Order: sequence, then structure tokens, then C-alpha cells
Amino acid sequence: MSWRASTHRALAGREWFWPLLLLMLWEIAGRYDLVAQGALPSPGEILTQFWHDRADYPPHLAVTARTATLGFLLGNLAAILAAAAFAVAPRLERLARGITITLFAIPPIALVPILVIALKGEAPRIALAAITVFFPTMVSTLLGLRTIDPRLSDVVHTYGGGALKLLLKVRLPSALPGMMAGLQVAAPGAVLGAILAEFGSGSRWGLGAYLLGSLGQANPARLWGIGLSATLMAGGAYALFALLGRRLNVDTAAVTLASNSAPDLIGTPGSNSLAGRLFWIAAAWIVGLAAWWLIIAWLNLSPIIAYGPQDVMRYLITGPRAAQNWQRLLPAFGETVPLAILGLFCGLAFALVLALICRLKPALGAMILPAALVTQTMPLVALTPLIVLLLGRTLAATLAITISVSFFPAFVVLTQGLAAVPASAREVVAVYGAGRFKTLLLIDLPASLPHLLTAARLGAPRALLGVMIAEWLATGYGLGNLLNRSRGMLDYGMIWSVALLSVLVAIALYQLFAAIEHLVLSRTG
Amino acid sequence: MQHALTRRTLLKSAAAAGAIGLGGAFTGRRAFAGTPFTMQSSWVNDAEFTGYFTAIDKGFYAAEGLDLTYQSGGPDVIPESTLLSGTPLALTSPDTTIVAIAQQGAPFKIIATQYQKNPLGVVSLASNPIHEPKDLIGKTLAVPPVNAVSVEALLRLNGIDASRVRIVPYEYDPTPLIKGEIDASVDFTTNVPYTIEQAGKKATSFLLYDFGVTIYNDTVVVTEETLKNDRASLVKWLRASRKGWAENYKDPAVYPPKFADSWFKGNGRTTENELYFNKAQQALMEHPKGFFTMDEAGIAANIEALGQIGIKATRDMFDTSVLEEV
Repeated sequence: MSWRASTHRALAGREWFWPLLLLMLWEIAGRYDLVAQGALPSPGEILTQFWHDRADYPPHLAVTARTATLGFLLGNLAAILAAAAFAVAPRLERLARGITITLFAIPPIALVPILVIALKGEAPRIALAAITVFFPTMVSTLLGLRTIDPRLSDVVHTYGGGALKLLLKVRLPSALPGMMAGLQVAAPGAVLGAILAEFGSGSRWGLGAYLLGSLGQANPARLWGIGLSATLMAGGAYALFALLGRRLNVDTAAVTLASNSAPDLIGTPGSNSLAGRLFWIAAAWIVGLAAWWLIIAWLNLSPIIAYGPQDVMRYLITGPRAAQNWQRLLPAFGETVPLAILGLFCGLAFALVLALICRLKPALGAMILPAALVTQTMPLVALTPLIVLLLGRTLAATLAITISVSFFPAFVVLTQGLAAVPASAREVVAVYGAGRFKTLLLIDLPASLPHLLTAARLGAPRALLGVMIAEWLATGYGLGNLLNRSRGMLDYGMIWSVALLSVLVAIALYQLFAAIEHLVLSRTG
Repeated sequence: MQHALTRRTLLKSAAAAGAIGLGGAFTGRRAFAGTPFTMQSSWVNDAEFTGYFTAIDKGFYAAEGLDLTYQSGGPDVIPESTLLSGTPLALTSPDTTIVAIAQQGAPFKIIATQYQKNPLGVVSLASNPIHEPKDLIGKTLAVPPVNAVSVEALLRLNGIDASRVRIVPYEYDPTPLIKGEIDASVDFTTNVPYTIEQAGKKATSFLLYDFGVTIYNDTVVVTEETLKNDRASLVKWLRASRKGWAENYKDPAVYPPKFADSWFKGNGRTTENELYFNKAQQALMEHPKGFFTMDEAGIAANIEALGQIGIKATRDMFDTSVLEEV
């Protein structure tokens, strides 16, 4: 007992040592303006400024907390209900795929101007928070609902249970860890979504509004204080669901690896023939376009703002200025997409390395993770001066922003995947004398492969978004810049076209990774 | 699990309590029986709009029988788009408005202007000064994307090939300029030099207006429908707004401090900054015939400047009939 207790104490000491050292280095770097000519404020300076501004914060915090919480609740409720429906009726999932992927892939920076016009008051902020959380929770929950031990479903079937019984007795309990992973990713997303919509909605209250008012003050300590408040809010929600997930995982972790533990999201119900596949793809497209058309008709907005499928077609194909519009769209597209693919791979690599570090060296992970989480939940506009001063306004800045925007969902999916590896599998190789790295190589890496592919799918639209944000904030190239300029010119045709094209690119990447996933799974079966 | 649910419920009720607490306190709307009327501002609440806040607090709109709702703007709010979703009046940048009319067929009319001279300028550090447009050659200039048209006009009118200036996005944070990462930015010369001086540097600037981009700013724009069906409210709004600005400029040091805990609360700016702003903009707003005047020479200058970069502004996009009724 005694040696275990002392090791534990030593470990706990080390856990504190590294973050403290990091904090001290930050304080020195910030205090003496060592980084980016002082654009990085020290923790002490941030706290001093926070204390100075303390009277400003409560109303801003309350509004962001309220809209983020409402969006989080509504978005997740919709996501869990949708996942349950999709688990029971896989055909429904195929039909709705056009809508669900669009909800995730549509860049919020293109969506905000549209939401702000369509909805009033706080509704755009709640809606964006809800849309931000929907997809991660839906996918993770669905993954969990489908990843079941086949012996359990046999048991239910043997006792005469149907699909609903299976859902309630087997799928839901086994989906809880996945659902928690989804909620974990979603929690910071809700805060960021609410803040992003505050930028566009012209409200006086909310952390986003405070940030906008403060941007012109050249006061990095203030911007960091606002950003870190958002981080604390998001981090608190993240920690809550991490804790919940860990508890539930203990109860529900499979004892052994189920042979079909890999997710089956690409599988085509009914027919696997080419004709069958094409049929479902066409159906998903038609449902998606019909939903778009219906929403535009229902909103009843000025045709200058609201573009239905037929209007975008006129803008890009049949209209008199279509050729001119393509002349602006194509070069921007060519600048953005290659960067997005590069950024996606960098983001995935970063997420994998981080997840493995957290697995192998929890103390080191404990040091890196908070810093990574800060970049995740700090509104990027607050970090822009630091980024451009450190990395310039070219490739390095673009990749840094893209990694920051895209790595987090991948990291959570991978961590969850590594945690789900049964202890017995590790023990087997340990018995044969394998060390930590060998275990990693033999067990953890192969086990994380399907999760890496899921992460790639989740990351693809975000990588595209990341590049567009970098273009919007720092470089002034590509689709992000085109979107930004078009807003000022009230060229909503271009905004809708950029939104549509980015959704199409994201779907293409999504399908690509889904196909690879399918291929890998059928090989390793 | 039970424990966690309780915590979540707690969070929820805390948020709900916050909602109730805030619901009444912070809406821009004031309880008053009159004709409801909404204006969309072009920016976050600061000294740029002191005249409207003065008119609201002094009851000038109420005296005209208007129940005014003031909607704040911001860098990502495009005021013209709120006109399209039903707001009757907005403060806009005339270049974007005219592009919207000319190219998108937006049914807008410009009925008045807050600024006779656009406060937008090229701001640089005195240690690395940009005195005139040709100094921009080979330099990095940060431009808010909504002002891209104005900057394009500046370069064209001064015979500068746009490819010789590196234009990067500007998010209204002067830090990159102060640190020398960029050479200049396009921002309000009435405001940002104060911030730069607070940061211990000296700023220098010139107005786009003084180098040929002779356009207004914060033009008052309405939809053709409002102009036709609710002309009476527009006349009342303009009369009360003009009174508010005149009241403010009886002494530009009086009103900004009064709004520190109301209109300017939580905007993250200091009262000294608002005072600097309120004083600096006075000369750009005044006109012998009163605030908001659009005279023929001014309108012609707008049309001329925009025409230089292929934006076809026409006289009928400006409607001075409401001004004449005030």
C-alpha cells in the first residue's frame, strides 16, 4: 500500500509541476513582452485587467451563458432524438444525410448573416449554438447506438424483442459513452456558436459584443480576459461531461472487443448494388434540396437576401452574370480547397499525437490539453494580432488557425476510442512482455484507426471553415475573403454560392473518408 | 447520474433566473406610447451616435410622437440587409448602399447624411508615416472588407495600381499597426488615433475624402416602401435627430460622460475616448443648412467619385424631399 501511495503522491506532484512551470514561463514572456512584441499578455496582466473590468462582465456573461445553454439543450435534444430515429430506421438516416451533413458543413460565417435576417432577437444566437452542437452529438450518439455487442442483440432477439426493445435495452446503454463524447465536443461549440452569432447580430450584450467593442482598444489583456471567460465557460461544460462520461464508461465498457465494434455509417440498407447506392444518394440530394426550397419559401424574405436552389442555379449557371460570378468564385475556390485538405491532415496528425500523449504521458497531456483547449474556445478574432505577429499572414498562419479550428472534435473521438480499448487486450500483450510503446503500436494505434477515419470526416468541414476564417481574419485570400467582401456588397448570391460550394466540398471529403472507412472495415472485418 | 442531473437542472434554473433578471433591464426600447419606429445603427454604441442617444434621453423623438427602438450595429452587421428584412431606417456607408441599389436592384433611397465628409482615413504611425496615397506603394494596408470599394476608389483616383499595395483584412484591432506588423489601416480618423496615442505611439492620418473619394458616411437610408407609406415618421425622425445632434454640439463635452452608465455601458471603451471622438467628428458633420443636409454639390461629388470606379450612382438614388419637409 505504502509504495503505491507514494507513487501516487509523486505523480500528483508532477501533474502540478508542469502546468505551473508553463504558467510561470507565460507570465515572464508576457510581462517582459518577449512574445510578438507584447501582443501576448501575461496571466498577471490579464487578471489585473479583468479586475479593472469586473463591473462590465456580469451582463455580458449572463447573456452568452443563457443563449449558449438554450442552444446546447435544443441542439442536443434534436441530435439525440435524430440519432435514435436513425438507429431504429437506417433508411431515414440515408434520406436525411443531405440535411445533417449540410447542417455541419455549412460555414457559420456564411450562415450568420442569413440567420440574423431570418430570426429576431436572441433567436439567431440560440439557433447557431444549436446548429453547432447538433452534428457532433448526433454522429457520436449514432456511432454508440450502432456499436453493440452482437451477443447482446442475439439475446434480445432470442427473447422475442424487436428493434425498439433493442434500442432501449442494448443500444442506448451502449451509446452513453459515445453520447458523452459528443456532448463534450458540443459544449465548447455551443459557447463559440453563441458568441459567433453575437458578432453578426448587433446585440449590446454578450461576450462577443464585448469583444467587438473592445477590439478597437488595442488592449490584448482585455481581449484575452474576454476569451478566457469564454474558455472557462466552455471548459466547465466540457469538464462536466468528461466527468459524466468517465463515470458512465466504467459501468458500460465492454469486457471484450466486440467483433463488429467498428461503426457502420456507410452501410446501405436494403441493397448494396451500385443502383441501390445511387438511388439513396439521389434521394438524400432531393430531400436536402427540397428542405432548402421549403425553408426559403417559409421565411418569405426579400429575394435579394434569400436564395433558393433555383436562384443559386440562376446566379451560377443560367443567369446573365453567371460567367462573371464564376470568374470570382473559381480562383477563390482554387486558393482555399488545397489549403483545407492540407490543414485537415495537419489537424488530424495534431489530434492523434495529442491523444497518444495523453494516453502515454498523462502528466504531459495535462499540460498541453489546457493550452489546446484555450485555442479552441478563444474567439479567434481575439488571437488574430498574436497569430499574424508570430506567423505572418501566409501559410503558417493559415495552418495554425485551421489546426486550431479542426483538431478538437478529432481529439475527443480519438481519446474516446483509445479509452474504449478493453484492458484485457492490453493485458494480453503486457503478459508477453510488451512495453508501453509496443502496446501503443500493437493495440492502441490499430484500435484508433476507425476512429481516425470518423475524426477525418468530422474534421473535413471544420478544416474548410478554418481556412476560410484564416482568409477572413488574416490573409485576405480565397473563399473567406470573397465571402467577407460579398457581404459588404450585399451580394447574397455569392454568399449562398460560397456556402453551397463549401458544403459540396465538405460532403465530397466526408464521402471519401466514409468510403475508405468502409474499405478498411471490410478488409479487417 | 442522479447527481449530475441535479447539477444540470441547477444550471438551467440559474440561466433561467438570469434571463428573467436581464429581460427588462437591457433592451434598447423605452416604455412609451407613440408610433413605433426602428432605426438600425451602423456600429456598436459609441460617440459616433451621441446625437441619437441625446435625442432619445431628452425626449425629442417622444415629443414628435415616435416610440424609437435603436438597434446597435457592429463590424459584422450589414445595415442594408436589415432594411430588406423590414427595418424602416438604417445608417449606412453610401458606397455599399449604392452598389446594392445599382447591382442588386435593392429598393433603397438615401434621404440624408450624418457625415458631410467620411471620417474614414488611412491611419499610420508617425514613425512610419503614410502621408498620401502614393506612399502606400509597396506597403501593407489593412482594410475592413466592407470598405474595399472605397479603398479601390482611392487607389484608382490617385493612379495607383492596386497590385502594388498588399491589402489584408482589418478586424478593427489596431494592435498589428501599433506593433508595426502592418504599415497602415483604414479606420475612423476620429477614433483610432486616440487608441494609438494611449498605447504610447503617435498616429498620423489622412482622409480618403481629401484624396478624391468624396463620399458621405452614415447616410440615412430607407426603403422605397417606407418613403412612400410612412413619410410622416421619417420627417419626425429626422427633425428629432437633427435636434439631438444640435443639442450635443452645444458643448461636445457634456453628453458622452452622461451615457457612460447607460448607452455606453459595457462597450469596453473609456469616456475619454468617447469625448475625443465626439469632438473630432464635429467638423465632419456640420453643414450651414443644418445637420443631415445633402446639398446638390455633395450629391454630385458622391456620384462623381463612385463613377470613377464603375459604380453607376445616379441622382435619383438620393431623395432630398424628406429633408425639405423638416
